[in-house]
Amino acid sequence: MPVIRVSLRDFEKLVGLALPISRLRSELPMIGLSWERDDYEGFEVEVFPNRPDMLSPEGLARAYKGFIGLEKGMPQYVVKSSFYDVYVDRDVCEVRPCSIFTVVKNIPMDEEVLKSIIQLQEKLHVSYCRNRRKASIGVHDLDKFKPPVKYTVKTSDFKFKPLDYDREITIKGILECHPKGVEYGHILAGFGKYPIIEDSEGLVLSMPPIINSDYTKVDVKTRNIFIDCTGLDWKTVSSVLNIITTSLAERGGEIYKVKVFYPFETPFGMVFESPDLRIQEVKLSLDFVNKILGEKLTMEEVLEFLYRMRYDAVGCSGENVLVKVPAYRVDIMHPIDLVEDIAIAYGYDRIKPEIPKVFTSGGESYLERFSSKVRLVMVGLGFQEVITDVLTNPHDLFIAMRIKPEPVVELENPKTIEYTVCRSWLMPCLMKTLSRNRHREYPQRIFEVDDVVILDENSETGARNVRKLAAVSTHSEADYAEIRAVVDALLKILDIDFHINPGEHPSFIDGRIGFIETTTGENLGFLGEIHPEVLENFGLENPSVGFEINLEFIMRLKGLDGNPKRAHADGPF
Amino acid sequence: MKFKLSEDEVRLLKILEKSGGIASVDRIASEMKLTSDKVAALALNISLKGLLSLKTEEDSIITLTDEGLRYAKLGLPERRIADQAKAKRILSISELVNLEDWEKSIGLAWLRKKAWGTVKAGKVEVSGEATKDTDERLIELIASEGRVYMSSLPSELREAVDVLKERRLIKIEKSSTRFISLSRLGEEALRGEIEILEEVSRLTRELIISGRWRNVVFKKYDVALPSYRIPIGRLSFVREVLDYIRQVWVEMGFIEMEGPILETCFWNYDALYVPQDHPARDLQDTFYVKTPKFGRLPNQDLVEKVRNVHESGWSIGSIGWGYHWDLEESRKTLLRTHTTCLSARTLAILRDVELPVKFFAVSKVFRNEKPDRTHLCEFYQTEGIVVDENANMKNLVGYLKEFFKRLGFPDARFRPAYFPYTEPSLEVEVYCPTMDKWVELAGAGIFRPEVVKPLLGREIPVLAWGLGPGRMIMLNYNLKDMRELTMNDIDLLRSAPVWIR
Repeated sequence: MPVIRVSLRDFEKLVGLALPISRLRSELPMIGLSWERDDYEGFEVEVFPNRPDMLSPEGLARAYKGFIGLEKGMPQYVVKSSFYDVYVDRDVCEVRPCSIFTVVKNIPMDEEVLKSIIQLQEKLHVSYCRNRRKASIGVHDLDKFKPPVKYTVKTSDFKFKPLDYDREITIKGILECHPKGVEYGHILAGFGKYPIIEDSEGLVLSMPPIINSDYTKVDVKTRNIFIDCTGLDWKTVSSVLNIITTSLAERGGEIYKVKVFYPFETPFGMVFESPDLRIQEVKLSLDFVNKILGEKLTMEEVLEFLYRMRYDAVGCSGENVLVKVPAYRVDIMHPIDLVEDIAIAYGYDRIKPEIPKVFTSGGESYLERFSSKVRLVMVGLGFQEVITDVLTNPHDLFIAMRIKPEPVVELENPKTIEYTVCRSWLMPCLMKTLSRNRHREYPQRIFEVDDVVILDENSETGARNVRKLAAVSTHSEADYAEIRAVVDALLKILDIDFHINPGEHPSFIDGRIGFIETTTGENLGFLGEIHPEVLENFGLENPSVGFEINLEFIMRLKGLDGNPKRAHADGPF
Repeated sequence: MKFKLSEDEVRLLKILEKSGGIASVDRIASEMKLTSDKVAALALNISLKGLLSLKTEEDSIITLTDEGLRYAKLGLPERRIADQAKAKRILSISELVNLEDWEKSIGLAWLRKKAWGTVKAGKVEVSGEATKDTDERLIELIASEGRVYMSSLPSELREAVDVLKERRLIKIEKSSTRFISLSRLGEEALRGEIEILEEVSRLTRELIISGRWRNVVFKKYDVALPSYRIPIGRLSFVREVLDYIRQVWVEMGFIEMEGPILETCFWNYDALYVPQDHPARDLQDTFYVKTPKFGRLPNQDLVEKVRNVHESGWSIGSIGWGYHWDLEESRKTLLRTHTTCLSARTLAILRDVELPVKFFAVSKVFRNEKPDRTHLCEFYQTEGIVVDENANMKNLVGYLKEFFKRLGFPDARFRPAYFPYTEPSLEVEVYCPTMDKWVELAGAGIFRPEVVKPLLGREIPVLAWGLGPGRMIMLNYNLKDMRELTMNDIDLLRSAPVWIR
């Protein structure tokens, strides 16, 4: 989540109060921000993704002034008429169809304001704009080009001077060599044409969403700016434009309408005077607020809290109120979002804890309850529990165990070769654990009771968990008799009648591997002396013996079905 | 009175009597052919019966230095000069024999100091009798005994100690000697009746069933000595914490949920109203699965409701996310990224169940991370939901306070947070006394209507909270690297203190 840096002096100027850092440190988190750090010049806060309007010191100050009661209700932004026009070309449709523009004049530009504009743009790009794919912003010095502006497309041999470059390069060159071209070029890949915003004389303003031109660069001398916002989603481009425009207005900038001519149908029609600072209206009932909060707030109190969160209210009739949501708030989807803001204004720290005195019965799942029992038996038999990773790799899972790789759950996008598949049996994980503990004291006897994941076409997700138990004992005297004794004791305690059948398993020494079969013919698992080649593969020097059994078979035999739908021991099922 | 003593004990008493009722431990040890420690232990035992007493005397041992040894053999240099000069009355220094050069100057200086003679113009003249002094007698004594105890020196020789020490002819070392002395009761015992008992080190089955244990004494062990290490079998310290958390949920009336590790996007994200372009759904953060790539979706009715709620808010007074919801995306499989998918699955089967009910999960979840000090790609998460028509924020805060109190954090505070599937959302911070600071430990909130209505069929405030216990475990065991939770270092597993709350 994005973190923004705010200069304390600038923030004090925006709020109009002297603000000790300690006060901000305790108050700002209560609006819904994470305090990251502070120093003598300023502070850094993490802004939650639902509040991109607070990604600038201006937006932050706007919210804070309301929260502390300094300025209440919805900020009023005047949008003036102008003669600026933008013509959108039909060809942008395929590549980057949505576009919206505005002009802000008389900005009291200085270093802080410039830094804030750049920061807001950057932080919006990485968060709300989804790394410029969904939307991207360009900010230009209005006095450095000649309107009207055209939003069109060019081919890859078209040339212009990108930001901070001293010469013209082709679009192809930008995509191949410029860092921004390399980073964001994939957004435009495959269209063969590239969006360009140019002025009436063909001077390039920007190549969205990659880079602005150097000609219209904004600096500390800039007073009037032109903002473009393009992207794939109309709601997003419009919201982003509103956030940046109102935040400049908070600095004292004057917003001017830009008339955009679209050659196709848009949610704004074919000719639209942007920005779209229309107010959203949400109906809220007092009952709903009090039901969610568990409080008995009056309508007056609720209104006060709404004003502090910078909303306006109209048509307050009895239990209901129509709440006006400012255009920069992009997170209000349902009245519940207003309830949260009311709770924030009320103060999370003022909410009194209260547990309802209603009985509900609790209980562990059969699977966990049974697993716990088995773990205790294993501990009693002298084994140390380990908890290993479900994720592993085919080498450890099969090859090191002398087994031909079998189909297992395989990751699409692993980050390391160490973790690429889900384990289908536990024993390799135990071998890996012993391998890590070679320099520790012997004897080592370890076990694990946990899930493996098995491919299963019949299951809803194509695979299912299977709860298993595996154990390995390794020391100079380890032999089949030891592990057989453990299995005998365990299954005796679990009250399972069984016999051992000889068989073959490449991980074990031939003739020293047995399969555990219940009297009802169910194969529970196997036990044996581990093959020396396997020991070698894991760098182990002592003879090792082990077993692995399927606990869900045992649960089925006991009538403790592992089916999750029946798993709630004392539940309502 | 009859005394029951072991053979060794009787021997010790007899030796003591023979040496006049008192002797050092070392002497008795050499006579008994036992180590001094054994004798001391034996004596301690007998002293408990009142037959003897032990005391330690601090003393100093005097021995000769190399130079002192030389003079013991040859005589002090001044003595040798005096002897040679006496024969001739006056002797030129150059005529001195049997003296090293360095000895000559020492000898001449002491000759003058002891007023045995004078030295003038390279000539030595002896005047009068050079009488043997205490220093020479002390050297002789030490030389003959090898070493002497300060306490045993005749008083007239004491003054010589300082002189010889200054001349660096003797060394003085502190020593303590343990003495054993026979008590009156001990003397009586030796004259009276003693029953000799056999001493045994191990109590055997034979001793018990024959009743012979009555006639033996058991050798005393040094109980302070550490013993060998047991190859322990116990639960993992991580399990202890997980089990504890599970128990807390059950105590608070929650029923356990479980479900597949391999999940569909539908349950992990879509049913929780996480938009399909949400950054958490990126390949960077979520483990997607190649085989099997797709799972089955639940009944069409539910899928359509979820689609509607994403696209337009359905009929519940929401405007939704406002995008085209992709069914195929929803069928994709992944390793569950949180336990909240279990809550979603549970809500979907609660339609006909009488409320209130409460559920919890303690399960593994997966994130596409490269494991390092502060990240793991799989870890445990625990989560609970309260499905109660009358639930509210006050209850949520109440449950949280109670839950964290039981987990060992009596002080919990709350501030606003953001999760896509809860509104309002809370961040839970607990006070950690060992670090003297507030630590972020859990997220909480009330499920959004967009989550609850499609799954449950009615719109009620479902309270939810969850945390990764890893943080708590690391704080408790003072671990600095998250990987220690999954490394299974056997030393740590064997030695981690038991989890108590």
